[in-house]
Amino acid sequence: MTIIATGLSAARSGRIILHTTDVEIRRGERIGLVGASGSGKSTLGHALIDSLRAQGASVAHVPQSPDEALDPLRSMAFHWREAEQALGLALDPSRKQKLFAALRIEDGDLRKRPWGWSRGMQQRFVIAMALIGTPDLLVMDEPTSALDPVVAAGMMDLLDRYLSDRRTALLLITHDLGLAAARVLRLMVMAEGRIVEDAPTPDLLRVPRTEAARSLCAHRNWLALPC
Amino acid sequence: MLTVDGISVARGRTDVLRDISFTLAPGRTLAVVGESGAGKSTLIAAVLGLVALSKGDITWMNRPVRHCRPALVMQEPRSAFNPALTLHRSVMEPLRAGRLPGDPVRLTRLCDGLELLPDLLERRPSEVSIGQAQRIGILRALIATPPLVLFDEPLSALDAVTQKHTARLIADLQREEGFAALIVTHDLGYAAAYADEIAVLQAGQIAEMGPAQDFVTSPKTAYGLTLREAAFALGALEHVA
Amino acid sequence: MRVILSLLLRAAVVLAGTALATFTLLWHAPGDPALAIALARFRSVVPDAVIEQVRVEAGFDAGFWPAFLSWLGPILLGDFGQSSVTGRDVWPELVTAMSYTFPLALSGLAIGVALSIPLALLATRHPGGWLDRFAVALASIGVAIPQFWLGLLLILLFAVQLGWLPAMGARTPTHLILPALTLGLTVSASLTRILRSGILEARGRPFLPAFRRRGVSEAHLTRNHIAPHAAIPVVTVFGLELAFLLEGVVMVEVIFARPGLGIFLVGAIEARDFPKVQAVVILAALLFVTVNLLIDLLYQVIDPRIGDRDA
Repeated sequence: MTIIATGLSAARSGRIILHTTDVEIRRGERIGLVGASGSGKSTLGHALIDSLRAQGASVAHVPQSPDEALDPLRSMAFHWREAEQALGLALDPSRKQKLFAALRIEDGDLRKRPWGWSRGMQQRFVIAMALIGTPDLLVMDEPTSALDPVVAAGMMDLLDRYLSDRRTALLLITHDLGLAAARVLRLMVMAEGRIVEDAPTPDLLRVPRTEAARSLCAHRNWLALPC
Repeated sequence: MLTVDGISVARGRTDVLRDISFTLAPGRTLAVVGESGAGKSTLIAAVLGLVALSKGDITWMNRPVRHCRPALVMQEPRSAFNPALTLHRSVMEPLRAGRLPGDPVRLTRLCDGLELLPDLLERRPSEVSIGQAQRIGILRALIATPPLVLFDEPLSALDAVTQKHTARLIADLQREEGFAALIVTHDLGYAAAYADEIAVLQAGQIAEMGPAQDFVTSPKTAYGLTLREAAFALGALEHVA
Repeated sequence: MRVILSLLLRAAVVLAGTALATFTLLWHAPGDPALAIALARFRSVVPDAVIEQVRVEAGFDAGFWPAFLSWLGPILLGDFGQSSVTGRDVWPELVTAMSYTFPLALSGLAIGVALSIPLALLATRHPGGWLDRFAVALASIGVAIPQFWLGLLLILLFAVQLGWLPAMGARTPTHLILPALTLGLTVSASLTRILRSGILEARGRPFLPAFRRRGVSEAHLTRNHIAPHAAIPVVTVFGLELAFLLEGVVMVEVIFARPGLGIFLVGAIEARDFPKVQAVVILAALLFVTVNLLIDLLYQVIDPRIGDRDA
């Protein structure tokens, strides 16, 4: 099954921040949505989620930081139960065990509140919650920037392994082309509220056709910069 | 020359920093990498004299560091400025604090070097982009010609393109000005590309320290290797090694 | 557990401090307390010998610390002594006064809560809308109006003009209505402001959009996530509010000539009846410390991060 969303657009206080855009994502595909800050990446992500939800597809979203996903006053068990209920699923201990094992959070004490866990574990818990309903698409918005590199890399590896044989597609939203290139096979480049380029990762890195993609490619490298 | 000689910093019964020693010569750059909680920010506070040392000594040219009036560039560029003042007033603060005369030529030269249009300084912090705010933060740090500049995660609030652009501007200015730079960062790619030496901080101790290129090609400790692998996995090191 | 112990210890320290401060104030109060007592008792020119006798009776002659200890001992055992004016036991009179004050304080509080919750909910439905601005204006006026004036207005309207309710005294339950209303309106004004800002702040918490995107229903979100966050500032302010409530009770009782703690205290101060004044002060401190202790314990349930910063 291919996920298709057409006619996505958004405006804020009279200014168009996302021009009419269509997005097509194949089953299990991994896509990077890259662009400078303010290019409309997150806006497109949200519009995509809303549109797919309206179609009845299941889409999950993982925000940048666990602080934006967990209520500090509620226990982890409460969050989990709530997420299952929101999807209308019966409580299923085996599903929980499987996800917890895949994301290496089996040892977390569910009676604790979020701040009783390390940030890396909080983030993996949020991802596990997002995967409860085996969604068609998982949208991750800058998932690594609030974490230490070691923790972030571990998280991305676990997620990769979990998604490798499943139908869930991944949309990785990031300003960092280096990160996206290391993680996905197809890249969409955004600039000024439009997708200006959409190509397989190696092709885009080899021949960036637009100004935005060229800038991202050039600044992917810490050493060689255009003058 | 900055000399950090066997310092420890205690908080309660535990040591946040333990037996840290290194030297940093003018014009050179030392990057301190490590995860949150490893003691990176405490190290900066210790060099600035903001926390008490339980052991050891920190000097600049054999005198207490504060005599050289070190400058600090912080992570969050906007919140580093007083929102009620124009940026120009904030930038001039180090001169007022040191009762130094303003030098319009130097200001213009630094603005050029940081690619800042002078009339940008008449705005307030909320009226410039984050990237501009961070370059203005660097301008403020350099205005009084400090021999030592500390950078606390100077790029992590910026996007990937702006990060690399700003890193280049910092390096160019350092070549002209000759200040010593102590950079705390979690971005190994940045450290590898711009630092002369890398120190890996783990649980308050220096796990390993050496020339940046050596570290990227062959870390000496298991922890150093973990850091390097993580940087590769996140695409931060690809073109360096 | 360690947190609870340290909270109890803190409460004990506050009470001991209050006792010491009360006694110090009385010790150094202007005027000779022994003279005042003697004057109040005999209502005429008193010979020096009588004043000296009063001084010895009250233990004022032995110096500060012995006097403090001989003063504190009986109080710890719950004995507030005899009125230095009438010579009757303080405790039964205090109980009678409290039997008038507590119904007033509780009904005032109940009216305040009953008015402020719906008002805050209505106001926050459309923040910045006309209803919100109206509620904020009303609450500001309510906080600004002094209670003695509000009480007089209510007496003018309901007792004098309409003749529906009694204005003075405390003989029947209907005597409670006007004082409780006076107190309740003031309490509701400040409570509405706190509730309103608490709700607005809770609605702006950064994690809420993620919960909505997860498919959590709005009703569930309000009940389980917004309400607890909105409750935190309310609980915090409640402890402070208690002081204003006590102050208000004294004021309102005097306006409505209700023989509660307010009249008891004012009468005692005018007569320099130290044992009575002490009894009220210590009772108020005990109440204050108990309520704040309960609030701190409540924090442990709602949000253990508060007051546990070492962990």
